[in-house]
Amino acid sequence: MPGNLDTGTIVSGVGHIGLIGWVMIGGWLDWSTPEPVVTNVSMISGEEYAALVANAPTPDGVLNPGEQTPDAPDVPEQAETPEPTAPETPPEQPAPPAPVEQAQPETPPEPDTSPAPEPEVAQETPPPPPTPATDEPRGAALVLDTSKRPKERPANRVAPTPVAPPEPDATVDTEATEAAEALPAEEQVTEAEEQEQAAPEAAASEIVTEAEEEETGGEVVAALAPTGSPRPPKRPARRATSAEVTDAAAEAAAQSASDSSNSGTSSSDSASRPTPSRGGPPMTAGEKDALRVSVQQCWNVGSLSSDALRVTVTVAVSMNENGKPDNASIRMVGSEGGADGAVKQAFEAARRAIIRCGARGFPLPAEKYGEWAEIEMVFNPEKMRIK
Amino acid sequence: MKRLTQLMAGLALALGLSGPLLAQDGPLRIEITEGVIEPLPFAVPTFSAENAAAQELAAQLAQVVADDLSGTGLFRQIPRDAFISGVSDFNAPVQYADWKAINAQALVTGAVSVAEGGRVTVKFRLFDVFSEAPLGEGLQLGGTTTSWRRIAHKVADQVYSRITGEGGYFDSRVVFVSETGPKNARQKRLAVMDYDGANVQYLTDSASIVLAPRFSPNGSRVIYTSYETGFPKVYMMDVGTVQRRILEDQPGTMAFAPRFAPDGNTVVFSLEKGGNTDIYRLTPGGAATQLTNSPAIETAPSYAPDGSKIVFESDRSGNQQLYVMGANGGEPTRISFGEGRYGTPVWSPRGDYIAFTKQHQGRFHIGVMRTDGSEERLLTASFLDEGPTWSPNGRVIMFTRVGSGAQGEPALYSVDLTGRNLKRIPTPGPASDPAWSPLLP
Repeated sequence: MPGNLDTGTIVSGVGHIGLIGWVMIGGWLDWSTPEPVVTNVSMISGEEYAALVANAPTPDGVLNPGEQTPDAPDVPEQAETPEPTAPETPPEQPAPPAPVEQAQPETPPEPDTSPAPEPEVAQETPPPPPTPATDEPRGAALVLDTSKRPKERPANRVAPTPVAPPEPDATVDTEATEAAEALPAEEQVTEAEEQEQAAPEAAASEIVTEAEEEETGGEVVAALAPTGSPRPPKRPARRATSAEVTDAAAEAAAQSASDSSNSGTSSSDSASRPTPSRGGPPMTAGEKDALRVSVQQCWNVGSLSSDALRVTVTVAVSMNENGKPDNASIRMVGSEGGADGAVKQAFEAARRAIIRCGARGFPLPAEKYGEWAEIEMVFNPEKMRIK
Repeated sequence: MKRLTQLMAGLALALGLSGPLLAQDGPLRIEITEGVIEPLPFAVPTFSAENAAAQELAAQLAQVVADDLSGTGLFRQIPRDAFISGVSDFNAPVQYADWKAINAQALVTGAVSVAEGGRVTVKFRLFDVFSEAPLGEGLQLGGTTTSWRRIAHKVADQVYSRITGEGGYFDSRVVFVSETGPKNARQKRLAVMDYDGANVQYLTDSASIVLAPRFSPNGSRVIYTSYETGFPKVYMMDVGTVQRRILEDQPGTMAFAPRFAPDGNTVVFSLEKGGNTDIYRLTPGGAATQLTNSPAIETAPSYAPDGSKIVFESDRSGNQQLYVMGANGGEPTRISFGEGRYGTPVWSPRGDYIAFTKQHQGRFHIGVMRTDGSEERLLTASFLDEGPTWSPNGRVIMFTRVGSGAQGEPALYSVDLTGRNLKRIPTPGPASDPAWSPLLP
């Protein structure tokens, strides 16, 4: 009990001291800013002010020298008063950058969304705060921001799922690499295209197989493509360079042929995978989320036994630079819970998820390949168990 | 001062731990905790007939396999007219791209041949399409032309087991009570059928009312209650010979609700003596042993798969509830505490759940709970659901559902342990009291 009383007393004492200190410091801060105003008022007495007013009409400075000496402090006072006003006006003039500054406190969620302009904005954030003006410039800046740009930016930045942009790049790249896998250039390019368009079918195969095929015969794939087409500008631009792609494919085919002749069995995917170099910018949370979302779309646990649903498996996979997994590299590096059979079923379901959704290429930033060249995915079905 | 030191140490520790987390070492690591629960799309091309006699069987076998898998609700068959390429030769390499294009995640191929004398040989392989690899080794099954459905069920069991990781239940039978005639003069007789309603065969005539048949652990015998003598008595029947005998015939008593112990020899049942109903055990060559001794009505005993415990229903608390006791009797432990009345408990063959009938607020439910009474879940709700029975793998529950009104007739339904895939089992007429057999040898 005495110990408790002591601590209570100590806490109370510290609290009081802190409160008193805060009041004193706060008061000092409050007093500091109005000080120049008080001095200004006190310095301008009634008589002096009248004399100044009386002397004012003679602007050329033809004044009594004795009266000018007490006026000398007035001059610095006038020099001081413009100073506080001066910071008020400058922040108003640089107001155009100021709205960017205000948007920056909202930027912390933005880095998750990964688009390129956002990090640039984040870099711009530091400059605005340095404006030394105390309270007034901030208020001015806030008013300017809210008045000029109301609420459009925060709305854009709230976007929760940051997946979309990288997809078109991934699809174009995959065509080139798949073409490189097999030697006959033109034929293989067409095959690769078919497979890529077939992947979106997989997501909605039920609708496709029953409804679409009767209309289009064997070419169901083309009818299903619209999911990828709605982005007009980029794809035509990329496909315009198909000649270059075929050249590159031919070269790659030649290389793969030579490689295969040198080393018996070498998959073209693994052969085309460059040695990753790390050290670039790390993966953002948004980029990781995009990967996670794209994998879990294909992680179907509906056919797993209750035993398999108790198994958490960790699966490692080597990635190709085009965002597609090297299927041969998928391996289980760890498991938790369940018997061997259940672990096997859980791993196979995880492998299917990686292969199925990876066929289209995962949404990964190409410039950060070094970060995701090797990925470990932990498939934890805890939330999917029968409850 | 001491606390300040601790605080500083804590901060230093936190900073020290956070350092490695901030810097990503090793491969990129993500955790996936949410997936999708949807039927797995599969393709079963018509099995290739290796001779002319097998032509018809090849198509029928493949269809039964596909129906078995689709009927689980865990798989979805891709229609054959959606196939880009078929499988004309059982030994030809699989064109994975064609199957990927239609999103077939599993592919079952097979071949059938019929030799002279009606000997059927079926070979099959299962492929993981997206992994471009077979799932397990190919298997060959043999039988007669009359047992081709069992061969198909066995193929489906293998496929199911290899994909889900749990045993199948397709090659199994169900004994039930087939009902005919008007409700005020209902005729009941025992019948057995395949789990999917095919191959119905009747075991008894309609001369006397029969109730609650149960299979023995090896499926060779059926134990049931019959009013053949005017009073309910327990009978045991050999399914192969349809020979039957009465088990316990104490004058002035009523015996009912029998069930086999896992050893296949011991039987537990309810016996009414002098207006009181208790649970008894009957061993081969021995007399009946009383396991409960209470003035309440205690019935519907069901053994745990290891034979160590018995779950039963009792109204000893004033309300019908579920209790668990040792195989030799003793003080039971109540496991059901929810609102309403609980009855007809059945221990899962896997030992993890107990299925039961629950009556609450004028509706009946089939539910499951853990063997200690926890995690109770109601799977169905209707005017009248009762009498659950487990599939051999403990994944599916079959039960009786009776429609409301004068036109309401009993029918057999099944539901997945998850509560999904509720469906009616086709029967020639009204049916009740299903009991699932073990997986056939």
